[in-house]
Amino acid sequence: MMFETLLFFAFSAVLVGAAFGVILARNPVYSALLLVLCFFNSAVIWLMLDAEFLGIVLVLVYVGAVMVLFLFVVMMLDVNLEELRKGLAGYWPIAAVVAGLMVFAILDVVVVKHLGGVSLGAAPPLPADYSNTRVLGEALFTRYAYPAQIAAVILLVASIAAIVLTLRHRPGVKPQNVGEQVRVSAKDRVRLVKMAPEKRP
Amino acid sequence: MLDQYLPILIFMGLAAVLGLALFTIGWFAGPRRPDAQKLSPYECGFEAFEDARMRFDVRYYLVAIIFVVFDLEIAFFFPWAVSLRETGTFGLLAMLVFALLLVVALVYDYRKGALEWD
Amino acid sequence: MITLTEVLTLSGLLFSIAVAGVFLNRKNVILLLMCIELMLLAVNFNFVAFSRFLGDINGQIFVFFILTVAAAEAAIGLAILVVLFRERRSIDVEDLDSLQG
Repeated sequence: MMFETLLFFAFSAVLVGAAFGVILARNPVYSALLLVLCFFNSAVIWLMLDAEFLGIVLVLVYVGAVMVLFLFVVMMLDVNLEELRKGLAGYWPIAAVVAGLMVFAILDVVVVKHLGGVSLGAAPPLPADYSNTRVLGEALFTRYAYPAQIAAVILLVASIAAIVLTLRHRPGVKPQNVGEQVRVSAKDRVRLVKMAPEKRP
Repeated sequence: MLDQYLPILIFMGLAAVLGLALFTIGWFAGPRRPDAQKLSPYECGFEAFEDARMRFDVRYYLVAIIFVVFDLEIAFFFPWAVSLRETGTFGLLAMLVFALLLVVALVYDYRKGALEWD
Repeated sequence: MITLTEVLTLSGLLFSIAVAGVFLNRKNVILLLMCIELMLLAVNFNFVAFSRFLGDINGQIFVFFILTVAAAEAAIGLAILVVLFRERRSIDVEDLDSLQG
């Protein structure tokens, strides 16, 4: 049990460090890669909280797809970084004050007041044949079947919006059409002309 | 349950140790005598023409978005497949509607030519 | 064993870091989007922790939907960003003032 607590603190330390890196890195590419590290550590901590399926979805969807999207966009736009950084150095005091106040408020509620006296000491033990994915699937496709359909509609909208916004058919390209090339036969290309023989003048 | 993940933890630890070890060995064992010529960017003897960070084409981004959408669809399929015995016919029908909505997305992608690369 | 207090403190720290990031990277829209992702991650931490300590799966369902919607939001947000960059050659928030009255 001691080992588990130690692991939690190790992963939390890396997580917080990586989060600081995300907001302080000079280059957005580094920010994106450090955000990937954040997601990895979060996935491990979620695993330790017995949310196996969500941990794996976090790695599968966020690390595997969404952060790749961010990296593509960062690399697609060659933004002048010095220009964007200019004049922001003076903002760190207000950032520190606001963030510090928020940490103070959250710690006050969570650590000092213990969520208003709710006793949630130890997590309830799980049954021996507990499968996080199965329990989640049972709830998702019975009680939450309608929200799942709405999620599908949102995904549909996202895919349509992305295509409408970014798809450009550029004129003047001459792509190779393999199907047409294969289907071509000699009689489409060569025309034999019958003509009467002519005498040399 | 968590002890099933112990091999992955060992693997992560080994990967971290190995990566760090290779870096430190290279740092300490390799000869390092930098001078201005060695540290300058090199492009076949010319001055570098442009930034090393090349701009990506927007088409990669479109492929990535389509991948995100269908990746999430797969993420919905996993709990459905595991719990199909419990959810029964209703779960099957719910997933049918869900999948049909994403088939609409696929047909739209295909008809708009978003899956073509030219 | 991990206690609820530890997880909630971690998520509070994470959220505050993300808020500080919004202040520090006020101009770069990509970094603002990344900070929003970080905030959503912190919120999801709360949901997962409470779901575990109350023994209630509904919190995890909610996290799943948040992940779905956040991925869709990132996809559309970045698409808008690409179009914006094509029009303006800039992703500075302060250049987006053509709608002011």
